[in-house]
Amino acid sequence: MINKRSLFLLLITFFIVVSFGSFAQAASKHEVIYDGAHLLKDNEKAKLESLSSKLGKDRKTDFLIITVNGTDGKTLEDYVEDFYDKEAPGYDKKHGNTAILAIDMKDRDVYLAGFEKAEDYLDSDRMNQIREAITPALSDGDYYKAFSDFIQKAHDYMGYKPGVNPNSILFKWWFQIAASLFIALIVVGLMAYRSGGRVTVNARTYLDNQHSGVVSDYDNFLRRTVTRRRKPSNNSKDGGGGGVTPGGHSHSGSSGKF
Amino acid sequence: MILYYKCPSCGSDMTFDPKSGELTCDSCGRVENIETYPEELKQAEFSPEETKEYQCENCGAVLITTADTVATHCSFCGAGVVIGDRVSGHLAPKKVIPFTITKDEAAAAFKKWCRKGLLTPKGFMSADRIQSITGMYIPFWLFDLNSKVQVRAICTREHTYEEGDYICTETEYYEAFRDINLNYMKIPVDASEKMDDGLMDKLEPFSYDQLKEFKTPYLVGYLAEKYNYTDEDLEPRVKDKISGYIESYIRSTFRGYHSVDYKQKHVDTKNVNSFYVLLPVWMVNYDYNKKVYTFAMNGETGKVVGFPPLSKGKMTAWFGGIAAGALLAFKCVSLIMGGGFW
Repeated sequence: MINKRSLFLLLITFFIVVSFGSFAQAASKHEVIYDGAHLLKDNEKAKLESLSSKLGKDRKTDFLIITVNGTDGKTLEDYVEDFYDKEAPGYDKKHGNTAILAIDMKDRDVYLAGFEKAEDYLDSDRMNQIREAITPALSDGDYYKAFSDFIQKAHDYMGYKPGVNPNSILFKWWFQIAASLFIALIVVGLMAYRSGGRVTVNARTYLDNQHSGVVSDYDNFLRRTVTRRRKPSNNSKDGGGGGVTPGGHSHSGSSGKF
Repeated sequence: MILYYKCPSCGSDMTFDPKSGELTCDSCGRVENIETYPEELKQAEFSPEETKEYQCENCGAVLITTADTVATHCSFCGAGVVIGDRVSGHLAPKKVIPFTITKDEAAAAFKKWCRKGLLTPKGFMSADRIQSITGMYIPFWLFDLNSKVQVRAICTREHTYEEGDYICTETEYYEAFRDINLNYMKIPVDASEKMDDGLMDKLEPFSYDQLKEFKTPYLVGYLAEKYNYTDEDLEPRVKDKISGYIESYIRSTFRGYHSVDYKQKHVDTKNVNSFYVLLPVWMVNYDYNKKVYTFAMNGETGKVVGFPPLSKGKMTAWFGGIAAGALLAFKCVSLIMGGGFW
């Protein structure tokens, strides 16, 4: 009983510490919405700012949104890289943890980038998943929804350890329940089956080891074949992927059209 | 012809005692060693006619038996008798494993087994409705088999290595041949028509160091039956029984290969020796919810087989518990990987 109680107390303490820990971080005042293309109403912008700062605090990461109308001939990726070098955003420091969603209305390009912590936690695979999830809203012109979805999803995905697919079937509640029921069914079925007694003899029980064995054998080599296939390269990710800014900051990324 | 075992000292009926393995007299405590007991039947030849009525020489009552009965009790005076002509000549068992578990021990072991059942209903677990516990010698044939196996197969061995930008898989093909000689000793197959084959198979293994030369006094006080199937009748069953063993032996000789494609497989199994034995089994009849359940217990090792009733409530509880536990495990894995608990 004492063990159970102390475990319970430990858990309670743990949760209290964790929740206070996140409140303890002071809010940082950054500009997070750079709406150069004027896609958002004032109240929408305010709502996105508060969402970004609330969720950003939780992940210690700035979630930035950039809208532009043309990039002076640069690709959107170059534009975002230059923006990061110049503006030096970041939750924790200059050039710090930042996740950026940028859209160019002129070329209808969308680019997502993750720096520092967001580079690990929002790698190019995850950025691709986010981009694919918000592209329909962008195409429909529902920018507020697309932007808030981006902040929400980026926040959620950063909860998963790097390298884990956040959309893995393992995290789906229906899969977890179905698999649990299946396991229980198998185990109870096995228990019922074995309640009548098990066969406890095996192939060795009646074998006379001293007078059994291989009398003669041969293994003749016939031929050898070799098949080659190219190593799957790690850098060929769909949708652009990450890179390094001119200022020397590496990042993850995903680009596409809407 | 009926055989009795009268105590030479006091004239009471003697019975077999599983504790000592000797013939004992309950009245005066005299002990007779069975192994040195004169066996007058060994050479006697009887006509195998299926007499069903005997006269109990103890009390004079008429003893009615089925055609298969070898040992029984007189229903009037209770004396243990052995019907001699059904264990002689070609019906003579060669060996016997005597009971080593007494009736009381069998009852206790059965009760213990009932309590261990995870899915059995509570009322069943108390094991207070045992209808009968009967010690029976079940006829078995023990087979010594020899299998000659020739197998030819195309096998492959694979290994991969890296070469620049390429991953290379090298596959080596071998033609492999195995000539295997396998001897299986004393595989038991029950020769009784009445006994469920699956149940009897699960009773194995019997420990053969207790295997004794057959003497009729071992049967006194128990029921026994003669065989219904000859060793020839049972050969297909025993061959079927070891076919899986042979397969697994063949597989074991190809260890180290990644794939084995059998091109030729020739298995020739011969019956080298087979002999008729009586093996001890306690049959337990259990009355539960107006239904009789039958269990068999290995009279030598105490292993119990037979299907007990299943409690729906307990099954549901286990099902729910395991499902909840598994779900919790999934949730923990998801939590560790960062997927959150909900």
